[in-house]
Amino acid sequence: MNNFEYLNRVAIGQYIPGSAFIYRLDARTRILIYFVFIPLVAFLPSIRGVLACLLAVLLAITASRIPPGFALRSLLAPLPFLVFIALVQLFSVPAGDSSILFRLGPLTASIAGVEAGLLLALRFATLILLVALATFTLSTSELVYGLRSLLRPLSRLGFPSEDFIQIVQITLRFIPFLALSAERIAKAQAARGADWGTKRGSLLRRARDVVPLIIPLFVTTLRQAENLALAMDARAYATGETVTSLRQFQFRLADYIAMAAAFFFILGLIYII
Amino acid sequence: MRPLVVVDRLTYRHPGSEPSQRNALDGVSLQIEAGEYVALIGSNGSGKTTLARHLNALLVPAQGTVLIDGLDTRDRANYPRIRSTVGMVFQRPEDQMIATTVEEDVAFGPENLGLPPDEIRRRVEDALEQASITALRHRPPYQLSAGQMQRVALAGVLAMRPACIIFDEATAMLDPRGRETLLSLMRDLHQNGTTIIHITHFMEEAAEAGRVLVMHAGQIVMDGTPAQIFARARALSDLGLECPPAMAIADELRPWLPSLPAGVVSAEELLAAIPPAMTPYIPQQITAPPISPEKSNGFSAIEVNRLSHWYGRGTPFERQSLDQVTMKVAGKSAAGLAGATGSGKTTLLQHLNGLYLPQQGTVRVGAHDLNQADVDLRGVRRYSGLLFQIPENHFFEEFVGDEIAYGPRLAGLKEEVLRQRVRETMEALGLPFEAFKDRRTYALSGGERRKVALASVLAVHPEILLLDEPTAGLDPASRRDVLALLRRQLDLGKTLVISSHRMTDLAELAGSITILQSGRLELDGPVHQVFRQEDQLRQVGLRSPLPARVSRRLHEQGWPVSPEAVTTGQVVESLRAMHNQIPYE
Repeated sequence: MNNFEYLNRVAIGQYIPGSAFIYRLDARTRILIYFVFIPLVAFLPSIRGVLACLLAVLLAITASRIPPGFALRSLLAPLPFLVFIALVQLFSVPAGDSSILFRLGPLTASIAGVEAGLLLALRFATLILLVALATFTLSTSELVYGLRSLLRPLSRLGFPSEDFIQIVQITLRFIPFLALSAERIAKAQAARGADWGTKRGSLLRRARDVVPLIIPLFVTTLRQAENLALAMDARAYATGETVTSLRQFQFRLADYIAMAAAFFFILGLIYII
Repeated sequence: MRPLVVVDRLTYRHPGSEPSQRNALDGVSLQIEAGEYVALIGSNGSGKTTLARHLNALLVPAQGTVLIDGLDTRDRANYPRIRSTVGMVFQRPEDQMIATTVEEDVAFGPENLGLPPDEIRRRVEDALEQASITALRHRPPYQLSAGQMQRVALAGVLAMRPACIIFDEATAMLDPRGRETLLSLMRDLHQNGTTIIHITHFMEEAAEAGRVLVMHAGQIVMDGTPAQIFARARALSDLGLECPPAMAIADELRPWLPSLPAGVVSAEELLAAIPPAMTPYIPQQITAPPISPEKSNGFSAIEVNRLSHWYGRGTPFERQSLDQVTMKVAGKSAAGLAGATGSGKTTLLQHLNGLYLPQQGTVRVGAHDLNQADVDLRGVRRYSGLLFQIPENHFFEEFVGDEIAYGPRLAGLKEEVLRQRVRETMEALGLPFEAFKDRRTYALSGGERRKVALASVLAVHPEILLLDEPTAGLDPASRRDVLALLRRQLDLGKTLVISSHRMTDLAELAGSITILQSGRLELDGPVHQVFRQEDQLRQVGLRSPLPARVSRRLHEQGWPVSPEAVTTGQVVESLRAMHNQIPYE
């Protein structure tokens, strides 16, 4: 593994182009479904419900023909964290009237603790996979234009949806370039003797190494932002009254089917929890 | 008909500039008619960009007026029309990418003008077509090469259907093919009636225009046809500029080829004007002196054997960037690396100081074997210093002295020793220590910044210098300075590996050349051999340096000039030798 490939470590914007069913849905359909399911998974109070969601996500990943190994790899980095919070839950949930499984010194583990730990770990795993699926199947431009189209009615209520979308778009556009800049600066420092990518040093040491990266990155980004602002101004940004859009969306039968399926899935969830 | 651009006694100061500083623009008056092709030249900091930004109301005059198609740039209500009349392509390709895919980026301008979606789509279609990037329409900009991004930027401007396009050093960051493509787009646009204003440091590009404006210290100091402007070689040189290379070579050759006409500006004109040798005057027995081959001292400083590299290995984004590349660099010599953007030059260079470790194949740098698991990476990086492309983008320190001290400090130097090291390094590069150590890195001129960057690498005392585009974006005077500094390092016994898009720079410095194409080794050998492979070079989008083409043409025309000469100096040397051999009556 290369130590300088920051771009490949950035999860957002890692769109994998494809032609499976899920890609052929209207961008707004995908946005709506993802945006409903993310808070749903985050707050579902039952293991069965979360498990059902996990299954649905895994099914969607398979159906979208994303290499499953690659999708599951997104669980790898947060795995120690998942285990850790599960353990904390296991021992910190009061036993109440559930039976105690075992004791470890002052710590007690109960059935309720196991359930709570499992729920939390499953919940995070499902969320991570869901967000990964969203970034794999939703290109940044689909997100931007989809949101723009979804939010446009709000501008009649005085919500500055155009500006909001522009902010989202530029943020998303900046992420890969930011990763590239960080990579260049780290390499420039390494080339002159800093400890980047020399396989030495503890985790703490590496964390401390990031500090000298921050200021140059900040300066580069500001300069880029300034140039970007110029380029936008030069192309008549914010000079006219109205802004129009290249893309227009059209809901089709598949979209209604997908949304109906999501709706009934949620109804089912309510039934099983 | 009224002129498209009218600038009248325009004066401008940068906000927040010191009272002692001169005005960025100082009483500039200028008219440009619709349909003109104007080149704007001048050294770094002469005010070219500031002037250009006044022409589409990115800046507004403090004093004086700017009228675009009769519209005053000070009136905000005119902005939509002014900005759709005058479009601008900037120097840095990646800073201009606004949206997340190419076609949306191109649509950005028309969207801001509030055009109906059908019209936008039509314009995007046409603009993509004109810039020949239709195939890239769904790609995210960060995956494109600099040349491609620059064409996206141009398409974004074209979609606004401007009457005039300003190219602000838009070719500076491009490889030869990218430059050639952009230049031919400019020619086409001009032929179709678009007004072109081209800011450039390449004099041969300026020579393509119908009119050349020369700026110095915020003023327009010359205005005329290329022939008129470039006839004043002395005056240009005082302004830190130079003549187009063809003209400079013609001047060098004229003592021996008096029939060469004055005012030759393009390479094609020069090659066509070379007369056949007149045999009665040049005895047959005179032969060209051989070009002395690079002295090889037997040991190689760098050995790369069948090196392959993949980015994002093991992910769906995997992309191979090097494919079985083999290269040897002799110690105390300079090796050149050439090839289009994306051909793998930078990746290869970054293997040579251990930023990347070989995934497949072997790399040896000095005594360091990069395939060994316990290789001392800090040692490799100290032994082999890398100067990045546009290195001043990556300055980490505020003050020049600290920037240069960064490397030696990490190498363990302290206090007086460190100070002494910084002082020595700076003075060797012509940066007086006391005058420069407390200057702010961002406030230096282009040439000074490049020298500071070079100093920051040399301060660690590397044996090998790896240079990625060391002269990109510099004005002619700074470029000559940097080349002279590199030549001196070579004379001091350092080993140089130089990646460059400028073949003349490589011909001046390098003894051998390696040419990459899509990650594969395409061609390698001594410079004079590689630069004779005109056809093969052309296939990978490169051209031999002009002196090499001239020597070949001279040879074809019967002059006793070695077709292996690759620099003007070598051509002149051949001619002088011929002259000395002619027996006097």
